[in-house]
Amino acid sequence: MTAQSTTPLVHASDEVSTGRLFVRTCAAEWTRLWTARSSRWFLAAATLVITGLGTALGFESAADPVEIQGGPAWQTAKSLAMPAQFAFLAFALTAVTSDFATGGIVPTLQWTPRRAVLFSARTTVAVGAATGLGVLLALAAALLAFTTAGSALVLPLAEGPAMVATVGLVFSAGAALAVGLGFLLRNAAAALVTLFLLMLVLPLLLGGLGYEWLADSFPGSGAFFLLMEETPQGDMTDASAAITMLVWAAGALLLGGLRLVREDANR
Amino acid sequence: MIEVRGLTKRYGDVLAVDDLSFDVEPGKVTGFLGPNGAGKSTTMRVMLGLDRPSSGTAVVHGRLFSTLSEPLREVGALLDPGSVHPGRTGRNHLRVAARTNGIPTARVDEVIEQVGLADAARRRIKGYSLGMRQRLGIAAALLGDPGVLLFDEPINGLDLDGVLWLRGLLRRLADDGRTVLVSSHLMSEMQQIADRLVVIGRGRLIADATVDEILRGLGHLHVRVRSPEADSLLTQLQEKGLNVQRVDAQELHVEDSTAEQVGRLAHTLRIPLHHLSEVEQSLEQAYIELTSSSVEFHGHPAPVPAATEAAR
Ligand SMILES: Nc1ncnc2c1ncn2[C@@H]1O[C@H](COP(=O)(O)OP(=O)(O)OP(=O)(O)O)[C@@H](O)[C@H]1O
Ligand SMILES: [Mg+2]
Repeated sequence: MTAQSTTPLVHASDEVSTGRLFVRTCAAEWTRLWTARSSRWFLAAATLVITGLGTALGFESAADPVEIQGGPAWQTAKSLAMPAQFAFLAFALTAVTSDFATGGIVPTLQWTPRRAVLFSARTTVAVGAATGLGVLLALAAALLAFTTAGSALVLPLAEGPAMVATVGLVFSAGAALAVGLGFLLRNAAAALVTLFLLMLVLPLLLGGLGYEWLADSFPGSGAFFLLMEETPQGDMTDASAAITMLVWAAGALLLGGLRLVREDANR
Repeated sequence: MIEVRGLTKRYGDVLAVDDLSFDVEPGKVTGFLGPNGAGKSTTMRVMLGLDRPSSGTAVVHGRLFSTLSEPLREVGALLDPGSVHPGRTGRNHLRVAARTNGIPTARVDEVIEQVGLADAARRRIKGYSLGMRQRLGIAAALLGDPGVLLFDEPINGLDLDGVLWLRGLLRRLADDGRTVLVSSHLMSEMQQIADRLVVIGRGRLIADATVDEILRGLGHLHVRVRSPEADSLLTQLQEKGLNVQRVDAQELHVEDSTAEQVGRLAHTLRIPLHHLSEVEQSLEQAYIELTSSSVEFHGHPAPVPAATEAAR
C-alpha cells in the first residue's frame, strides 16, 4: 500500500491464544479508562472526599477524646468508604455506559469482535480499578485519621488485612453490580438510578416501612452492614451480607453479559 | 474476499436487508450503491459482526468477523465517523486500537501521517470536523494493514484534496490485491473509482456487474433529433413502434434506437434534420433507472405558494 507498510499483505492465520488476547484487551481497556476525562474526575472527587474527611475526622477525634477513646482508625476508614463507594460505583458504571452513549462501542467491537473477551476484560479492568483504588484510598484515610488524631485513635496493624478484605469485598461486589447494570441498561442515567435504588433508597425505605427481611435482601444493606458493622434494621451476619452482595453482582453480570453477547452492538 | 449469502436483517418491523447475496472480489474496488435506507450500512454492520443477521451469513476469507482475534489485521473498516468517544485525542483512539490487536504504537504515528492528521492527532476528537473524523476512521481502517477494507460513504465531508487523495488510496489498495468495498451516493464518483458495482434497493440486490456492463446492459440508447417537421417525424416514428418523447417544438427523444435507424427513416420520408445524435447514458442515469422503483424516500417538490400569488 505504502512504503511505510511493514506487515505482509496476507497474514498467516496463526491464532493468538484467548489468554493472550484477554491480557491485551485488558491493557487496551486500561488505556481507554485513563484517557477518558470522566474517569479522572471521579477519581479526583473520591480522593478529595475520602482523604479530606479522614483528616477532618482525625482532628475531630483529637479534639473530643471522650467520644472515641482509643478506637481503631480502621473503623473510621471503613465508615468513610460507605459514602465514598458511590464515586467508585459511578466510575465503574460510566466506564461501561460511556461507550454506548458516544457510539464508541462501534469501533470497540470492530477491534475486539469476540464479545465474551471484551466483556470479561472490561469487567475485570473496571471492577479491578474501582476496588484497587478504593482500598488504597481507604488505607490512606486510615493513616491520615491516625496521624491527625494524636492519641485518640489507634492503628493496630494486625487488624489491617481484615479492613482491606472488607472494603475490597464491598467495592468489588458493588462495582461488579454497577458494571452489570451498565451492560444491561446501556444508559448511564438508567443504570445510575437503578444502582442508587438497589444500594441506598430501597434498603432504607423498606427498612423504614418495617419490611426488614425484604430490605436485607438488597445489596445496599449488605454494604452497610459490612462497612458500618451494624444494620440499619433487621439482622444480618457477615456471611449473609457478603452473599447478598455477591449474588446481586453475579446476577447483574450474567444478564449484562448476555445482552452484550447476543444483541446488536448499539440499538 | 467477502461472501454474502442469503443475508436478511430485520429491525422489528423494518426489513432492512432482504435475502441479499453477492461476492466482493480482491484486486478490485467494488462500489456499493443504493438509495437512502437501501440497507448498505446495515449490510456492512452485519459483515463486521456488529449486528446479528436474522438469517444468512456474511463471511470474510471464509470466516465470521466476530470470531477473529486480530480483526484489524484482516479487515479495516470505516463506518459512521460520528461513532467515537469524543473525549479522547485522535492519537489515543488509535493507540487503543493498536493495543487491542497487538500492533506496535509506531504504526499509529505512521497512519496518522498517512491520512494527514499529524497536526490534530493530539487534540480531542470533540473538536474535529467531519472530514477530520473521516480521516481518523480511515487511519483506523489502515492501521493493521488489512487485506479487506470496507468504507461506508468515505467521501462525506472530505475536501477536494481529500477526495483526490482517497481516490488514489482506494486505487492503490485494490491494485495491491486487496478487497475494497466502498459505499457512496455519488454516482459520478463511483464511475471514476469503482471497477464493479453492487446496487441494492430496499434491501434487495438490483445489479451486480462491472461499471461497463451496467452502462451497456441497460443499453437504452437515446437518440436526440431536431427537425422543423418534428410532428410528422414523431408520427412516423411512433408508427414504427418506437417510444418517442417530444422535448420542444423541434426536438424529439427516441428511446431504444440508433442514429442510423432514425436518420435512415428521415431520409426515406424526406424530412430534413437539423440535429441527430446518440445520447450516451451516464452511470447516474443508469442508477436512477435501476433504483427508481425501489427508492424509499422520494423527495417532494416544495408546495407552490399559489394562494399568496393569487391574493396579490
Ligand atoms: N438500529 C435500527 N433500528 C431500526 N431500524 C433500522 C436500524 N438501523 C437501520 N434501520 C433501518 O434499516 C433500513 C436500512 O438502513 P441503512 O442504514 O442500512 O441504509 P443505508 O443504505 O445505509 O442508507 P443511507 O444511504 O441513508 O446511509 C432503513 O429503513 C433504516 O431505517
Ligand atoms: Mg448508510
